[in-house]
Amino acid sequence: MAVSLHADVYIPGQSVVHRWAARPKLLSLLTLMFAIAMVRHLVLLPWVFVVVIGLYLAAQLPLSYLCRRLPYPGLFIVAMVGLLPWVSGETVIWQGWIFSLRLEGIQMAALVAGRFVAILTTGFVLLGTTPFLTLLEAMRSLGIPTLLTDMTLLTYRYLFDVANQLATMHQAMALRGYGHSRQTLRRRWNWLAALFGSLLLRSYEQSQRVYSAMRLRGYGQQPPRSLNQKPGGAIALPTILTLTAAVSVVICELSLASL
Amino acid sequence: MHIPDGILPAPVCVAGYAIAGGITWVALKRIHKTSDSQVEVPKAALMAAAFFVGSSISLPVPPVSVHLVLNGLLGIVLGWYAWPAILIGLLLQAILLGHGGVTTLGVDAVMMGIPAVLAGQLFQLRHYLGKSLPAKISLGLFSFIAGAFGVGLSAMIFFALVIFAIPSTLDQSTEQTFLKALMVGHIPLIFLEGVFAVLLCFFLLRVKPELLER
Repeated sequence: MAVSLHADVYIPGQSVVHRWAARPKLLSLLTLMFAIAMVRHLVLLPWVFVVVIGLYLAAQLPLSYLCRRLPYPGLFIVAMVGLLPWVSGETVIWQGWIFSLRLEGIQMAALVAGRFVAILTTGFVLLGTTPFLTLLEAMRSLGIPTLLTDMTLLTYRYLFDVANQLATMHQAMALRGYGHSRQTLRRRWNWLAALFGSLLLRSYEQSQRVYSAMRLRGYGQQPPRSLNQKPGGAIALPTILTLTAAVSVVICELSLASL
Repeated sequence: MHIPDGILPAPVCVAGYAIAGGITWVALKRIHKTSDSQVEVPKAALMAAAFFVGSSISLPVPPVSVHLVLNGLLGIVLGWYAWPAILIGLLLQAILLGHGGVTTLGVDAVMMGIPAVLAGQLFQLRHYLGKSLPAKISLGLFSFIAGAFGVGLSAMIFFALVIFAIPSTLDQSTEQTFLKALMVGHIPLIFLEGVFAVLLCFFLLRVKPELLER
């Protein structure tokens, strides 16, 4: 029942993308992602994939990393675009029984799926080469309010604890008979509401202890300290190359749109 | 009910970020005005983690089971903190699970967060509009309304985005049939969210009523 979380998002390494300073990396890769989201012409997708594959290779992330993380979100996109070739468009290229495969639908599905894979892979490059704390530090230095970064840090820190608690509580509930004997729907819903309510209660009580511990360590007594004191790392070359690639995608898209 | 990367055109994603930025500014202003954020941050963060994990609980609805959105409930319990909690929850979902997306984070936050905050405000109306009712009935009624409203409004924003923002070459009748089916499919979910909110609020009333009082 509990969510299966990927704790190993960051893969340590010495590639140029790993050594790229976090702030320009975040900004450059976000720009690239938005540039990819602008693509509306299928003919541009090969160029987008050249850029993204180049980035992934430069990051020296293993292929298994992508294979492990892509299937779950991939299922959603398949569910969303899987119907398009059968219901969208007018040019029928194949017909059998009540099904008609349409050209425009295939093109639309390919475009959406292509953009999805490219943006997601770019996101994996960002997350796979940057520790979460460094990413938060970069966000804070870009002006994201302290309340948001503090909350993000705490939520992330306790997420795995809470997930473990839920798994334990669910197991205890199953051992006490939930789901095994014949139970009315109302009774099962009441059990689940109590399960979720207990999870909220435990989190609430834990938050009191966390706050006390944070106060004892000086939380709120001094200005927010930098989360990561490491020097920035390489900036110029990867930033210029990524932004050039992003601009090239935008220019090509605008040129194709004006034709 | 998340929109993944690659579906929406870039201008819509940028507009989503702009709106989410504006709402974040308003929410943080309200938070600093009405509460001691240093005390509340750990509570809101851990509750956000609990909601994040709790949304994986599947509710049996024979012959299937459904996962709840819980944004209305988040508004009930966290009030204005529901906005940063949803923003963070969506960011972590995108990072850890690949669910939702980075470019669509703003749009998804608007879709889930505005209904959550409004549901929280709606729940507080019980202090004024529900005065004449017995306390338990008032709590049940307003928790149902808030729980159902949260997911209902999110579904409406989602449909509006599907209709206006996603380019499609579907013929009009197919599109209308598809949207009608999608809307009808969400009605049971809206009802379920309302019922679950009632059950949870009654549970909290029994064991920790201060969680319902802000």
